[in-house]
Amino acid sequence: MSISVSGFERTFQYAQMFKEGMLCTVYLSLFTVILGFMLALVLAVMRMSNFRPLRFLAMTSDGHAREEGFRAFVSRFNPISFVATVYVEVIRATPMLVQLFIVYQVVFDKDVINLPSVTVLGFLKLNRFLPGVVALALNSGAYLSEIIRAGIQSVDGGQTEAARSLGLSQGQTMRFIVLPQAIKNILPAIANEFVTIIKESAITYTIGVADLMAAVKAAQAGTFLVLEPLLVVAALYFCLTFPTSKIIAYFERRMRRGDRR
Amino acid sequence: MAIADSLIRVTDLKKYYNHGAIKALDGVTVDINKGDVMVVIGPSGSGKSTFLRSLNLMEMPTGGAILFDGVDITKKKVRNEAGKMVKLDIDKHRQKMGMVFQHFNLFPHMTILDNMTLAPVQVKHISKAEAGEKAKKLLERVGLADRADAYPIQLSGGQKQRVAIVRALMMEPEVMLFDEPTSALDPEMVGEVLDVMKELAQEGMTMVVVTHEMGFAREVGNRVLFMADGQLLEQGAPADIFEHPRHPRLKDFLSKVL
Repeated sequence: MSISVSGFERTFQYAQMFKEGMLCTVYLSLFTVILGFMLALVLAVMRMSNFRPLRFLAMTSDGHAREEGFRAFVSRFNPISFVATVYVEVIRATPMLVQLFIVYQVVFDKDVINLPSVTVLGFLKLNRFLPGVVALALNSGAYLSEIIRAGIQSVDGGQTEAARSLGLSQGQTMRFIVLPQAIKNILPAIANEFVTIIKESAITYTIGVADLMAAVKAAQAGTFLVLEPLLVVAALYFCLTFPTSKIIAYFERRMRRGDRR
Repeated sequence: MAIADSLIRVTDLKKYYNHGAIKALDGVTVDINKGDVMVVIGPSGSGKSTFLRSLNLMEMPTGGAILFDGVDITKKKVRNEAGKMVKLDIDKHRQKMGMVFQHFNLFPHMTILDNMTLAPVQVKHISKAEAGEKAKKLLERVGLADRADAYPIQLSGGQKQRVAIVRALMMEPEVMLFDEPTSALDPEMVGEVLDVMKELAQEGMTMVVVTHEMGFAREVGNRVLFMADGQLLEQGAPADIFEHPRHPRLKDFLSKVL
């Protein structure tokens, strides 16, 4: 197998497909990031929630709450947090490909949710694109929620105490004090996850999403070339991921205000 | 000490850990009156910080009662004016209790001015301009008017603690709680913080101060509590506590710190 200029020239005859594939990958990643981040916020809030329906078990007759003993242990059971924890652990412990196929072949099976065969955003087939986005978002949401939770827990407890001592509510403390500091701490990890989403979106080609990988397959099949289309697509992925991490790094630097001077 | 002046009435306050194996607070009963400058002293591990932190429920007590404004704030539910049982709104009570921490706990991502105006604007809904005006006046009082737009990291420890004090004052609290406010400071900065506290005391602010500064306790305090092993062993006027200690633990403690 050799690499040649004419091989690239033949590959570039498929430029239109690569262009649409690239746009498709961008849309995939963008919707995944948005959906995944919203899911992650919900999961993180669920895991840190303070909902304890069995709390009454620990109540003494004079209105105090017991802190120890079996009843106190049971009273701390939080079903909301439990559900979120199970979800995160299952997603993290199973292959992305399996999750994708379950979403595509089971959840979006035409007997369950029948998507119309229409094209959206110009050229994307909805019945392939949407399951891809949903599967990617369900997956990245679990990882992002762990990042967010770690970030929130990394903020010094004294910050919460100071805010609460001033009379701010739990929600206000989260919004004005904890989250701004947490997001600054976790921006590098979030950037990493965003880059991972762009790269992992390639897997959706297995369910027929016309992304960059699909363009490679088409170019390979049409030209009988193996290497050149792959090199082109590798370069295109790099052009997507590298600026993404650089842009987030820029925001990270800007948020350093107040850290060191 | 008239009962009518009682601002916070603490009754048999307990804080147990590990099924009562560790008794951080073991039945503390004390009245804090309006205008009191109550200094809490004692060896480390005596429960004095736990006591202070229980007053605004930073620590949830295991037993006992804390009557503040006539409401037992340790209860989850209280009877309102109409006689109905409602959920206790602890945020409302905390607004009336300012707290100053050993490690300042300024918000590092906000300027000094924003640190001070956040709670009044968000909680009391006064305008940002009005809050800023008030913050600048307070900053002027503690000699930091020119640092309003600085970030906490740019301030010295003493300056940070002075900001923390005026930040708490922004909410116009009825009582100020100080949790070892000078313990994390370089020695040369202790004075500037104590001066602010002294001024505050002279203005009649009710204060509860946990400290190792015996000079401050003697000079500024009007009541001194001595705690050890989670119990309140002796209390009285500074002169009595320091000149005529009765309890052997207090005598022992004073012989080590004075």
